Amino acid sequence: MLVEKYERPLRSFLARTFGPDGADDAAQDAFIKAWRAAGQYDGRARYSTWLTRIAWRCRLDAFRKERRGEDAQPEGSVAAPTGEVEDMLSRLSHSERAALVLCEGHGWTHPEAAELLSMPLGTLKSTVARAKAKCRAMWEGAERG
Amino acid sequence: MAEGFDGFLAAALAPAERQGDRKFVARVQAAIALEERLAAQRRLLLTELAQQLAAVAAVGLALWWIGRAEPVASSFSQSPALGLALLLTGFGLLVAVMSSRRPVAAEAYRH
Repeated sequence: MLVEKYERPLRSFLARTFGPDGADDAAQDAFIKAWRAAGQYDGRARYSTWLTRIAWRCRLDAFRKERRGEDAQPEGSVAAPTGEVEDMLSRLSHSERAALVLCEGHGWTHPEAAELLSMPLGTLKSTVARAKAKCRAMWEGAERG
Repeated sequence: MAEGFDGFLAAALAPAERQGDRKFVARVQAAIALEERLAAQRRLLLTELAQQLAAVAAVGLALWWIGRAEPVASSFSQSPALGLALLLTGFGLLVAVMSSRRPVAAEAYRH
């Protein structure tokens, strides 16, 4: 039931933030970890916030491990962009991407996103604004042709 | 321009409108069911281990207590070889009984 309800936003968030490769595996891991840690959920945050936080940490850890084994790449690089938005997102850092996707696309509040990303509220707000400004510049550039 | 961009961004970043992915849901549910089974087996194994440790401790305690009884203690002191033989026989029997028992946890892994 919970999987049915939350798989769509969670997989979308992971795919947008880290690229489509491994997004489904990460979502599955997050659901399993959430099931294991169900007793720790205290209901203070929304379940989706709690679940997304688990997924974010798992994926970030996995991503760092993957990168250790490869040549270091700029943080903004993800799998090959497949469209306009993916292209824009690929030029942002993970935190910028996550903040933008959650606040602009998934309707999260700034405090929720700040908690998830473990950053102060002010930093989160400036991260979203910076990410948005970068995307806007790219969008306007594309509009001008 | 700004509204156009904001609208574009919100639409592009929102989760795609689609039906639930039954295949993915089934995959996760299967993985969780497997986790549940493994957790149950782990608990079973730990319970079995605790029971066996308690049984071994009880047998050891019983042997020690019997060994303290005057007639047994005196016969042991007169003939330590006999005492050792009895202890080894008892230990052999215990090992035979415990190893002939079909472990429940091992059975559970087959299903």
